Amino acid sequence: MPFSTYLDSMRKDCKELVSELGKSFDYVSILGSDVRSAVYRADRKTSMACEGEGECGFVIKMHKGRSFYEYSCDDVKGDKKALANKIIKAVRISGELTDRQIKAAKVADEPMKKDFVRETDFDNYTDEYLLGVCKQISDEICGKDEKVLNGFGLIMPYRVSKLFITKNRELSQHYGWVNGGAMALYNDGKMVHTRHMEGSDRLSEVIEKTKASLDGIIDLAKHLVKAQPIKPGVYDIITDPSITGLIAHEAFGHGVEMDQFVKDRALAKNCVGEYVASPITNMHDGAAATLSVASYFFDDDGVLAHDTQIIKDGILVAGLSDLGSATQLGTEPTGNGRRDNYRRKAYSRMTNTFFCPGKDKLEDMIASVKHGYMIFETNNGMEDPKNWQIQCTAEYGIEIVDGKLTDNYVSPVVMSGYVPDLLKSISMISDTFKIEGSGYCGKGYKEWVRVSDGGPNLKARCKLG
Amino acid sequence: MRNLKEIFDNTKGLYGYRIIENSVASYELFFVHKSLETVRSTDSKATYVTVYTEHDGRIGDSAFQIYQSMSEDDINKKIAQAVSRANLVSNEPYELTDKGTLNAALPTNLDKYEPEELGKQIVDAVYAADTVPGGSVNALEIFIYKDTKRVINNRGVDKTQTVYRVMIEAIPTYTDDKQSVELYEDYRFTVFEPEKLTAEIAEKMREVADRSKACKPGKELNINVLLRPHEIRRLAAELAHDQNYSSIYMHANLHKEGDDLQEGDCDKLNITMKAIVEGSERSAYFDDDGAQLFDTEVIKNGIVCGSFGPSRFGQYLKVSRPSGDLKCVSLGAGTLTDEEIKAEPYLDCVSMSGLQLDLYNDYIGGEIRLAYYYDGEKTVPVTGITMSAKLSEVLSSLRLSEKTDVSGAYEGPVRALLKNVSVL
Repeated sequence: MPFSTYLDSMRKDCKELVSELGKSFDYVSILGSDVRSAVYRADRKTSMACEGEGECGFVIKMHKGRSFYEYSCDDVKGDKKALANKIIKAVRISGELTDRQIKAAKVADEPMKKDFVRETDFDNYTDEYLLGVCKQISDEICGKDEKVLNGFGLIMPYRVSKLFITKNRELSQHYGWVNGGAMALYNDGKMVHTRHMEGSDRLSEVIEKTKASLDGIIDLAKHLVKAQPIKPGVYDIITDPSITGLIAHEAFGHGVEMDQFVKDRALAKNCVGEYVASPITNMHDGAAATLSVASYFFDDDGVLAHDTQIIKDGILVAGLSDLGSATQLGTEPTGNGRRDNYRRKAYSRMTNTFFCPGKDKLEDMIASVKHGYMIFETNNGMEDPKNWQIQCTAEYGIEIVDGKLTDNYVSPVVMSGYVPDLLKSISMISDTFKIEGSGYCGKGYKEWVRVSDGGPNLKARCKLG
Repeated sequence: MRNLKEIFDNTKGLYGYRIIENSVASYELFFVHKSLETVRSTDSKATYVTVYTEHDGRIGDSAFQIYQSMSEDDINKKIAQAVSRANLVSNEPYELTDKGTLNAALPTNLDKYEPEELGKQIVDAVYAADTVPGGSVNALEIFIYKDTKRVINNRGVDKTQTVYRVMIEAIPTYTDDKQSVELYEDYRFTVFEPEKLTAEIAEKMREVADRSKACKPGKELNINVLLRPHEIRRLAAELAHDQNYSSIYMHANLHKEGDDLQEGDCDKLNITMKAIVEGSERSAYFDDDGAQLFDTEVIKNGIVCGSFGPSRFGQYLKVSRPSGDLKCVSLGAGTLTDEEIKAEPYLDCVSMSGLQLDLYNDYIGGEIRLAYYYDGEKTVPVTGITMSAKLSEVLSSLRLSEKTDVSGAYEGPVRALLKNVSVL
């Protein structure tokens, strides 16, 4: 499927509105979004084939040396003068707030005209086939063991078309991504759920890998029904790539979102150039840093995708910014301006965030642990960029005794502590690398965007509870 | 909406249809320190359609979105695709919601203001609390919404509900020579009471000042832990949602009707899922099916006694009168007094990273960003600690305060006391 025909038809209207609003503002941009998704799901008793969350609308951003203004609407057709007047009226402020407006430098509007496309294989598959795959996955899970209460198959492809117009800039992008997976509900004296999630720009890859994961899901369930809570304490840990990614995301991803620098809400602002992690640690973020769920070509401010190195050899070197925060800080935006959807504000957000591989072998890392845990599968995490506290919840851990993985599973596992303590305790990094592209990230408790994270296995030391 | 109704009424092969139209108008202010960084406004409408087909004695359904930009031809193509998808979907039969008209608005005073005037008054109320030396409201986001939701279907449902609501995200911060600390807070209301808002933020300003003095306790603790409404709501909602019709139908519920969650001497849980909690933005007169909502008790005296959820899954479970999709949680008051709390050492959790609950693994825990530690004699602020306990054990010795309040989609005790919790 090509770039949105609707957005393509709106280029002229957008340019006319930019021109009309340009009579009142120094900088005007319009972002048009047309995002379509589908959900295919089956379990033992129900099935679903429908559209998922999508969006189709516009956000107009305006600036004239003071506050930024934004207006979100469904359409920009019709009388542009009348629409411009409506927009200006909608964002007016009480006169008493005028003196409180920020002063910000003029927004750069470098000329560029480009159309970006990344093809998918989604059109090779019919609704009937995809729902059939989900039913097959569900049936296979349910048939593997009589203790399986229910099995779920899920496939969720989505396609993004975005159009960005300013006086000097005209960009379009079209790409797709698909997440899919399988889940089992299992009861053997204790109920557990286990899952496997995949993400790719290829449906074929997601289907193949999900189908190959089913034995592992049941095997894990059999272990987790016997899992016990962990005895709270400080332990040596080995992380799987999803937990590595969770640490990257929560520990230093949020901490270097530069809209927080503007608000003095991130301790990292004062630590650029300082050691914040073990010297063997390197960390990146960027839509252009790898291919995953957040690999767009330009961000929601029309800034081209970057590959930003955040930590280099343990030293904090750079942060992540959207257009607004970069303008206020006097820096170059890094292509991290992202919106939940066209109705929401753009903030500095992570994209694909990961630690870089090291030189160690995973087996040597496990062998080096006298007593500790290998920690698996992200459940959730919370950050505290101001005070550098972190909480990461993993689905389960496996005890390591005398350098060997045991059969002792613990669940759930909540990792917490002080970010520099955790990052400086990283003593070994594996030579492997995996990105998990099925996550969502909120800012506070809202503004959800799709993100990926991951990296190699890490050996570190932290508090588990 | 009228055109859509005509299109669907003329579409052959449908068992039924449902149209949900959500209109949102917002006015938003974003402050950095005390300076206005961004002003936003939205004017949008989202239309969600579900078509239902009947085949082989089963029901299929498929949902899609209609955008303002779509022509009638686009819409007809969408309908054809959805009908085709619905014919692939095979679920147990159920009845769509039958008849009912309504046009209602939740009680509010927000409609009395122009958005920019309300925004200004909220700004004044927030910064009126910014009087603690060394303290500041470091960032402030104000969202003023008017949501209008209309649900119609082919069986005579046509209901509209209007909700005016405000969401505020404020970041109280305290800075001294050594460090700068903050707390995250959000406030949601449907009735603007400036003095109440100022008082709530002023309390947070005092607490964040205490966070700057907070230290990690010198030892591992095994102590009574007090939770506040944000975390109590999370606990009550988690226990209630285990009894959602869909969880039960999918065999995902842990507890069954008649299960006793609290076998010890404690304040028994009485949890009711409600349609309306006064002052809560989650209150509703009907759900996405347009179904009337009925408050439903799910846990009584600590024993699971009921279930709730959307009509479809209620019908699958042969519930005679499904509750509808209820969003508000009401927890009954307990017997715990302030005097009893002070009779023993305790840890009063002001701010957590997020209460972690895992019913399957019988776990409750989480990282505590700020708590007041009372050792029996004096009270000191503490930070950098993590609590963890067996959920079944803390429920069986749970105490709930006599005092109650409304917080978001929760009404109930302002404190819950968990006994003998491990804090590291």
